[in-house]
Amino acid sequence: MPLPNGPNAPNDRPPAGAAALAWLAALREPQRACAWSLAQWQRHVRLARRLRLLGRLAESVIGAGLLPQLPEPVRAHLVAEQRYARARTLALTWALDRAGAALGPVGPRVLLKGAAYIGQGLAIAAGRLPSDVDLMVPAPVLQAAQAALVADGWAETPMDAHDQRYYREWSHEVPPMRHPAHPIELDLHHNILPPVSRNTVDAARLLERLQPSQMPGWQVLHPQDQLLHSAAHLFFESEARDRLRDLVDMDGLMRHFGADPGFWAGLPQRAQALGLAEPLAMAMALAVRWLGTPVPAEVQQRVRAIGPGPLGRAWVSMLFSALLDPGDPDRLPPLRQTLAAQALLLRYHLWRMPLKLLLPHLWHKWRSERAAELERPGDAGPAA
Amino acid sequence: MTSLEPAARLGASPEARIAAALRGAGLCFDADRGQADVEAQAGDWADLHVDLMRPRGLRRWWRPQVRFQNDGRVPFEPFPADAPLPLMEWSANWMLGRRCNHVLLLHAGVVERDGHALVMPAMPGSGKSTLTAALSLHGWRLLSDEFGVLDVERLRFRPALKPVALKNASIDVIRALAPGAELGPSFPKTRKGTVAHLAPSREAVDRVHEPARPGAVVLPRWVPGSVTRLEPVAAPVAFTTLAFNAFNYTVLGAAGFDAVTALVQRCPVWQLEYSDIDDALHALARRWPEVVARAQANVEGDGA
Repeated sequence: MPLPNGPNAPNDRPPAGAAALAWLAALREPQRACAWSLAQWQRHVRLARRLRLLGRLAESVIGAGLLPQLPEPVRAHLVAEQRYARARTLALTWALDRAGAALGPVGPRVLLKGAAYIGQGLAIAAGRLPSDVDLMVPAPVLQAAQAALVADGWAETPMDAHDQRYYREWSHEVPPMRHPAHPIELDLHHNILPPVSRNTVDAARLLERLQPSQMPGWQVLHPQDQLLHSAAHLFFESEARDRLRDLVDMDGLMRHFGADPGFWAGLPQRAQALGLAEPLAMAMALAVRWLGTPVPAEVQQRVRAIGPGPLGRAWVSMLFSALLDPGDPDRLPPLRQTLAAQALLLRYHLWRMPLKLLLPHLWHKWRSERAAELERPGDAGPAA
Repeated sequence: MTSLEPAARLGASPEARIAAALRGAGLCFDADRGQADVEAQAGDWADLHVDLMRPRGLRRWWRPQVRFQNDGRVPFEPFPADAPLPLMEWSANWMLGRRCNHVLLLHAGVVERDGHALVMPAMPGSGKSTLTAALSLHGWRLLSDEFGVLDVERLRFRPALKPVALKNASIDVIRALAPGAELGPSFPKTRKGTVAHLAPSREAVDRVHEPARPGAVVLPRWVPGSVTRLEPVAAPVAFTTLAFNAFNYTVLGAAGFDAVTALVQRCPVWQLEYSDIDDALHALARRWPEVVARAQANVEGDGA
């Protein structure tokens, strides 16, 4: 894996697991995949599917016209996943079109993450499997936006009273909504981080720099803010495993927007202004080390300077190295990965909520999970 | 869909009994890391990797469970430890239905005779599984009891072999019809009542890579006391039945629409009303030469 030019502190060498991620380079250099044996293909297809990156691999390889060179079972799986990702993307685009019509004059309205990548026609959107659609409106119009969507048939997914309260009072979004005609979940945000977190982002500053998207009526965050949002997501997401895709997204965003030197200028200042200096510093270092993201050396230096000190850096870096390792396709997450996820989750919760909110919340979560486990009938399986 | 011999020689764990019951399945079972012969059977490629595991801890002893694991994840709720085969079957169906979008997955039973496929779309109470099982025991080759796998480019049905899942009264119907039928253990009290599995024939397993041309579409309806009748069905009715029951019709988009349209335009579509399964089998066998002749005329008409 190519290393970027620039100063590499001792802990900035590629981690041991980075070689195991070399296959990810095929997402942008599909010719690499032609050298894979069938056994390698099997491993990469399984890992990519779990990481929700198989569609991107498929678009990359098929787009380069390499499909005829590949073994038959590989071809089938790539074609299958390309179709699936395209159908999901189409479903998302349609849901956005309808939600946009339902929202009418309510705005400004902003596409976040995957929806934003699709709305800008970014290369990383091709084959990127959207699980839900993330939207943002200013907090003052959140109620109006939700009411307009409900009037159009979107409904909150059922949840218990505690979760309701959690969303209303402490979260940066309303409960996820579903629509009978749209096979995709809609998450309506008024910020990119919860408002009660100690380092909350000032949403007004995000709204100041909105950019047009290719979808009429929808805007996107400034490219710098898109990167910072992705870093915040990688950092504060509660999912225990398979967050490597966030890093791959960041890599793609930096490669795309980084072609414009203006993108790098002022990035550290922007991160500080939004209170996201640490996520940016850590995530950028990880992307450079694990994925060889080409970040100008001088930018790396300036971003590192606003990040945590050596101790915090080593600690978080160690946790993320454990967390991001996709591991063996057959194995459940190893213990050290689970522990790293727990440690980061605790860190995230401390960041996200003051302790007096956090402890009752965790207690309730623990209790309701226990209850669900005990009540769960053994044969509540998937539909035949 | 790659089909591989299932693992039949596992050790003495509950997992082993499951795999042994799955003789002739069209899936690859990587059921036990520890056993080299299983690994060897899996080969370099499988479409779906499944581990059926007993969770550790309290659950090993208290109301023990079996867990379906795929690619390092546990996507579904566990089942009671004494129902591993139903868990395997439902979970594998779900996962294949989600990922095999290179083909159109009709929700249908499919059997073949004289190179042509008889497709029976699933409708509640249709007795699709029973009829599929009965046909497979009376001179028809089983392609699948669940997935009508249609290659939309070539308009051919591909086998997707797995054990036929029989429910409740169907189990005794099949036992009565074919006393020698190879049935696995009965699993009472599942979500669908009692379930037992019929092994596909040796021939069906040996010919698992051999596709079939479309022959006829039959919508079965079991009506107590009725006389066997085959009535033509209008193409649009057949279209909606096939398309809107398919697992991935919307994913395939225009390709799926074109394939289903071609299917209902080329093939005769009948509703089969029956109460006596023997009589129904005879009725289908009697009409089959006509179906094959029509399909061959279609091919000549295409200049193929």
